[in-house]
Amino acid sequence: MRSYAFERPGTVTDAVRRAGSGSAFLAGGTTLVDLMKLEVMTPDRVLDINRLPLRGLDTTGGGLRIGALERMSDVAADPRVRRAYPVLGQALDLSASGQLRTMASIGGNLLQRTRCGYFRDVSTPCNKRLPGSGCPAIGGENRTHAVLGASGSCAATHPSDLAVALVALDAKVRLQGREGARTVDLRDFYLLPGDTPHLEHDLRPGELVTEVVVPALPWARRSTYVKIRDRRSFEFALSSAAVAVRLDGDTIVEARVAVGGMGTRPWRLTAVERALVGRRATEETYVAAAATAVEGTRPLRHNAYKPELMKRTLVRALLELEQTR
Amino acid sequence: MTTSPIGRIGRETDRVDGPLKAAGGARYAADHQPEGLLHAHLVQATVGRGSVRRVDVSRAEAAPGVVAVFTPFRPLPLNPPSPQQSGENYSALQDTAVRFRGQVIGLVVADTPERARDAAALVSADYAVTPSRTSLADGSPGVAQGVVQKLADGVPSIDAALAASPVTVTTSVSQHAQHHIAMEPHATTAVWVDDHLTVYTGAQAPQRAAATIAARLGVDPAKVRVLCRYTGGGFGQRSPVWNEALLCAAAARALGRPVKVVLSREQVFTAIGHRGAVRQTIRLGADTDGRLLALSHESDGELPAAGGWQMMPGRDTSAVMYRTPNIRIDQRLVTLDTPPTWSMRAPAEAPGMFALETAMDELSVRTGVDPVELRLRNHATEDPVEGRPFSSKHLEECYRVGAERFGWSGRRARPRSRTDGDWLVGTGMASAIYPAWRQSATARVRFGDDGRVTVSSATSDLGTGSFTVLAVVGADELGVPVGSVDAEVGDSALPPGGVGAYGSSVTTSTVPAVQAACRAAVEALVRAAVENPRSPFAGLDPAAVRYRRGRVEARGRSVDFRTLLHAMGVPLVEAVGATDPNTTSPYRFHCFGAHFCEVRVHRLTGEPRVARFTSVFDVGRVVNAKAARSQLRGSIIWGVGHALLEADPIEPDGRFAAATMADYLVPVHADTPEIDVHWLDHPDPHISEFGARGLGEIGLVSVAAAIGNAVFDATGTRVHDLPITLDKLL
Repeated sequence: MRSYAFERPGTVTDAVRRAGSGSAFLAGGTTLVDLMKLEVMTPDRVLDINRLPLRGLDTTGGGLRIGALERMSDVAADPRVRRAYPVLGQALDLSASGQLRTMASIGGNLLQRTRCGYFRDVSTPCNKRLPGSGCPAIGGENRTHAVLGASGSCAATHPSDLAVALVALDAKVRLQGREGARTVDLRDFYLLPGDTPHLEHDLRPGELVTEVVVPALPWARRSTYVKIRDRRSFEFALSSAAVAVRLDGDTIVEARVAVGGMGTRPWRLTAVERALVGRRATEETYVAAAATAVEGTRPLRHNAYKPELMKRTLVRALLELEQTR
Repeated sequence: MTTSPIGRIGRETDRVDGPLKAAGGARYAADHQPEGLLHAHLVQATVGRGSVRRVDVSRAEAAPGVVAVFTPFRPLPLNPPSPQQSGENYSALQDTAVRFRGQVIGLVVADTPERARDAAALVSADYAVTPSRTSLADGSPGVAQGVVQKLADGVPSIDAALAASPVTVTTSVSQHAQHHIAMEPHATTAVWVDDHLTVYTGAQAPQRAAATIAARLGVDPAKVRVLCRYTGGGFGQRSPVWNEALLCAAAARALGRPVKVVLSREQVFTAIGHRGAVRQTIRLGADTDGRLLALSHESDGELPAAGGWQMMPGRDTSAVMYRTPNIRIDQRLVTLDTPPTWSMRAPAEAPGMFALETAMDELSVRTGVDPVELRLRNHATEDPVEGRPFSSKHLEECYRVGAERFGWSGRRARPRSRTDGDWLVGTGMASAIYPAWRQSATARVRFGDDGRVTVSSATSDLGTGSFTVLAVVGADELGVPVGSVDAEVGDSALPPGGVGAYGSSVTTSTVPAVQAACRAAVEALVRAAVENPRSPFAGLDPAAVRYRRGRVEARGRSVDFRTLLHAMGVPLVEAVGATDPNTTSPYRFHCFGAHFCEVRVHRLTGEPRVARFTSVFDVGRVVNAKAARSQLRGSIIWGVGHALLEADPIEPDGRFAAATMADYLVPVHADTPEIDVHWLDHPDPHISEFGARGLGEIGLVSVAAAIGNAVFDATGTRVHDLPITLDKLL
């Protein structure tokens, strides 16, 4: 049997002290247990962190602080989240299945691994799983793969819906390591694959995500998340868009735009935001702004539809947001 | 309709096995835990073609709990399959050849399932690899399997007939491999007691499975028993015996202990057969009113070098569906180094009718004739090749009733002309056809001294409702409550001649046998009543004794059979009934149907969603309305998957690209539209006295075409290569 140590630290300090290379934190287990069964992840030490006091939603001071062990379903159902950040509630609602959302944690959601079929199949090479072994996706089946941020080593998308919404909201993650705590912008937290696709996060050995911090953004009350997929439920995004728009009359004065299913990490589209600001909130504006989204996309053999789908997803999200006015 | 003393036929009856299943009391193949049980796990090839040079089992053998590791270099003896039998043409572990990626090259046996699985991951193999043939397109055209052709007098060829037609349509369609995804993964528990083998394994045909296992293991067929009382879905995939079951039984023999093997979900995709990929071209020639003058149906289907089921999608579709003076069916097979293919629910008819009914819709667009009207104009009363009449065909009524229920009239044939908010709305329809088939069958009916009736037949209930069919028909025939009848299936030791649960034929074939058995059992009961000296009817003329509603009556005296059996001191009276197949009939037996659906496609992002579905079927007599509706509705949901989701592309190295439940998408509840299922009540007088033609598969046939036709109506885009995904509609 492939054996591993199973420990249940009682404090964050204890958890971080026990962690190191070869260890894995266990929260909801909806990614880790799955990947351990597939032998994609083979930690020698599993640290069950569910007893740690990393729970709670806090809105004092304007923003939103979410404990890393909060369950997706609880966050999605929280009236404060739904009111102030509809985009977050919707992104969570559209994730996974009801059963999974009840188990899965917020921290784990942000750290979930790609759904690339080659990554999950140990009988194939994969640079992310086995550095230097090669990437069958780039010349193989890549209909679901990334058109933004991919390298010659990896074109796997980041699967989280929540992360896309959080990136649009300029969220930060609080990390706790042996050397202390630090806060990182979620946008910078995810690394591009480059030649090292196995390095996915700005996470030092043993560091633990303890909290997600969403800055105050009163106009995010007008925000939405649109997710496009083949199957209507229980499926990852081929394309998704998190958008928030602040209007002055009919004129867009501020905008936040990020997309999922397109990039190797959640992809903020500041060019689209700039193209929206100062213009009237009409479909023509959205179409023109969305056109800037496809800059720098590099399609593979089966995902050439994605840049066009990204534009259309953005337009749809902006139109649907209009209907909530 | 035949008279029914208690009137349960055709009504809503709860599944007799429902409470047991809902409470978790039904034991499936993997639920058996015999004393001393060992657990096995398969090792599969990770290259597409070549040979195994070496297998390193040292780490696996050293792993805790491991009892044995079998490989091509330490095989479990198995006989080769009979060359007459279709299916895999080799036995696992008997040679070093690798025929496809996923072929079984090892079996690890350990004391727990986890240890077996873990040790299996420690087995490593070296291969000599040769290039795989995996492209159906590159291999086409394949080898013709006998061309079916009928031309009108003086017409030299189908091409000439097409060329002479005022309107022609050419439609080429394709679909990838598809998988059955039965709820129960394949599993086998094998137990030897002396030289008797009992195999618990999901089998659509338990007696055929027992015979196959006996032949492959080289043992006396009389000493092999297959038990599959409860089986979690078949869909064709459980009609042959796969290597997993054979190796399990062979390992149990070699080790002298019971062995169980349960395939992982991923293993089922490759170790067990799939519906092969197929490419088809339909050419229609018609006059300007849409009346067919010529029909050509060509297909190239995947046929694995390792053997498999032959994809013949024109035979039971284009060759029987419409009236046409000129017809040619050319079904070809392309040999590929892919995992074995096997029949999968409406195996050839679902792809075949997708091709034909897509082409018919294109003909409707070309001629401007409404799709329903077009089909009425081409309605066939006999099959167009042999000219044999249909036994009972009410397809025109299906169109009429379906159109009415759906609200088809007033449909404007202008693609992309209806919207609802940001959604493009379209409607489509298609005809369905599926062969009906009555096999010879046997059943046994037993009166027990506990007052219960047992109806038995060596067929299988795959979750489809055969238990209930047996109980309802037995109750009806004997005039007793359904609740006092026990149904028994899924046991090869039941009287020989049970039917395989495939081809939508269990009800069609078994009901007449149950009726015969009931009559024979009544006769036996009456005979016993007059012959048994302790019987109150002893010595009477059997003609003066009658059976009625569970009672034996004569001379003003009426005794229920339980009391009678007790009086006679006999624990039971039973009889077997057998029926012949109706192979000599002059008729063609087919089920028919008409589908209507509404589809919505988002104007920006293109995702197709089925909004509502109406289907009307002509399937002869229905036994249990509740199960029938569920079966037909389930087929339609499957058809939504066929149209919009289900595809497993094969990669150049022979790897299935979507061989997991995460990647191979099947519909979920959210994909399931409002479904209105209706059937006509026209018992087929020629298929049997009872008149049931079966309905297991007809529901799936042409669903994909109806959806595709509605997608065209909504968008103006015709998608020929399934599945119809949003990237094809942007």
